[in-house]
Amino acid sequence: MPTINLGPASRRLGGALLIAFLGAALVFFVMRAGHGDPALAALGDQATPEAIAAFHKRWGLDAPLVVQFWRWLSGALVGNFGMSMTVAGGVPIADLIGSRLPNTLFIGFYAMAIAVAISLVAGTVSALYHGRFIDSAATGIAVLGISMPDFWLSYVLVYLLALGAGIFPSYGFVSPGDSLAGALYSGFLPAFAIAAPMAASFTRILRTALIDTLYRDHVRVARSLGYSRAFVFVHYVFRNALIPYVTVIGLQVRYLLGGTVVVERIFGIPGIGALLVDAAFGRDYGLVQACALTFLICVLIVNFLVDLLCAALNPRST
Amino acid sequence: MRAFFANKLAVIGAAVTGFVLLAVIAGPWVLPHSPTEANFLALLEPPSLAHPFGTDSFGRDVLTRILYGARVSLAVSVTGVLAAALLGSAAGLVSAYVGGWTAAVAMRISDLLFSFPSFVLALFLMVVLGFGIANIAASIALIYLPLFARLARNMALVVKEEPWVQAAQLMGQSTFSILTREILPNIAAPLFVQIAIGIAFGIVIEAGLSFLGLGVQPPNPSLGTIMADGREYFQRAPWVLTLSGVAISIALLGLNLLSDGIRDVMDPKLRARL
Repeated sequence: MPTINLGPASRRLGGALLIAFLGAALVFFVMRAGHGDPALAALGDQATPEAIAAFHKRWGLDAPLVVQFWRWLSGALVGNFGMSMTVAGGVPIADLIGSRLPNTLFIGFYAMAIAVAISLVAGTVSALYHGRFIDSAATGIAVLGISMPDFWLSYVLVYLLALGAGIFPSYGFVSPGDSLAGALYSGFLPAFAIAAPMAASFTRILRTALIDTLYRDHVRVARSLGYSRAFVFVHYVFRNALIPYVTVIGLQVRYLLGGTVVVERIFGIPGIGALLVDAAFGRDYGLVQACALTFLICVLIVNFLVDLLCAALNPRST
Repeated sequence: MRAFFANKLAVIGAAVTGFVLLAVIAGPWVLPHSPTEANFLALLEPPSLAHPFGTDSFGRDVLTRILYGARVSLAVSVTGVLAAALLGSAAGLVSAYVGGWTAAVAMRISDLLFSFPSFVLALFLMVVLGFGIANIAASIALIYLPLFARLARNMALVVKEEPWVQAAQLMGQSTFSILTREILPNIAAPLFVQIAIGIAFGIVIEAGLSFLGLGVQPPNPSLGTIMADGREYFQRAPWVLTLSGVAISIALLGLNLLSDGIRDVMDPKLRARL
């Protein structure tokens, strides 16, 4: 019998799909177990039994739970999450998410780009000059950065750069669909607030990985063969050090997307994070489910891409 | 231990953490004010001798509130992280050493929890469980459970191949005794580092949730609710938000330096090079 060799990429894809399915099940059943009847949430505690029964019939809630889950999931697969009940009465949840997801993704990518840019420079410099003043200074700033939660840093930034210096707006966001320059400008402070703690941890991992690689035998051999310091650094040190660096970046994606929740709220960015908070306050359970699942899928997609990138950087791992 | 004291950052971290613990535990006894009782004769007073951190919009002493609040934040975070460390490490150890399909299922579940943005998972659980102090601890525990499970599992997979573990097996030690007496002591140090990091991040999660109004509910103080209050009247009384933010940073700084220090001390290879 011929064996089918599913490549590592497709095996990872399968794993990601399994997790997405489990995540959908978790979100659906945990929410239902915690809150029982959506009819009570929508109609209030004083609803008459007749009204509740009518509500059940209308939304298909009289079917067994597994059937309901199947309907919800098959709807979700084609982008139909049902209607928002309290936050935006009667608007399809998919429309809400579709209009807000680009803003969250924009802030997420923006923050990631800032964190990567800062950490590449700071990590390389402090590894090359490790033990010297500039390294200690970078390490000190990094520890401070990790010790500033994003919502606290947001206010420091607003106070200094928006209210104080007046360089950036303190509130509001121009959607990247309307104006990319406007989005880059109005999104800088929120993106930076999310990026700073991440830049700190990226810098430290890159620094450690670079220093660790600098003393490996293959590097010493390359130097003894007469290759220049710069050449050896780029080709023999940096590439090896990128593997742990990219891995950590992949792991941090979930913190990054988590960070958007608070920061979107502070800066008034209409994204999924702010939507999730509204849904949580409004007890719009269908919307909470859909937002949580959207976040999960974003993380899975990014992690899948990071895995591919790691495999490309390190052929030994496959 | 000597290596620990030779590491300057570790000592600073331990000192700062110790100071925070002392302030949080002893402070509320020393200070004469109540954290929740309003005093309408002293609204939004700037820092003074009587109120070193000023007062808030209910005339409450901000320093007292920060110390009580930090007590709540720290207790919530420590409870959640320790619960996660206990259950997660146990699950990871068992799955590495015993294996089987329950272990495989447990690791899948941990993969799943690990793929949610941590703050989104916390928020989701707050909606399901309801807003409140105990539920924040439960959320933090669930966020950290998969991390400890993975960490313990990965390290135990390495350690269980060591000769002394095999010797213990041959001598007929029970599985429980091998896990707790042979394997656990050898993987404990990285778990402690992770606990310190976890407590720092747990404080951030609690503060974030409470800041949004989804965590600790007013008038009870927590670092997050105090910052949320301070945001309301930031222009008139910037000290409330600023000083509570500084307080949270000091606590995190101590824990981060401490966990860094322990890690450096434990990894002699790194220590020699850095």
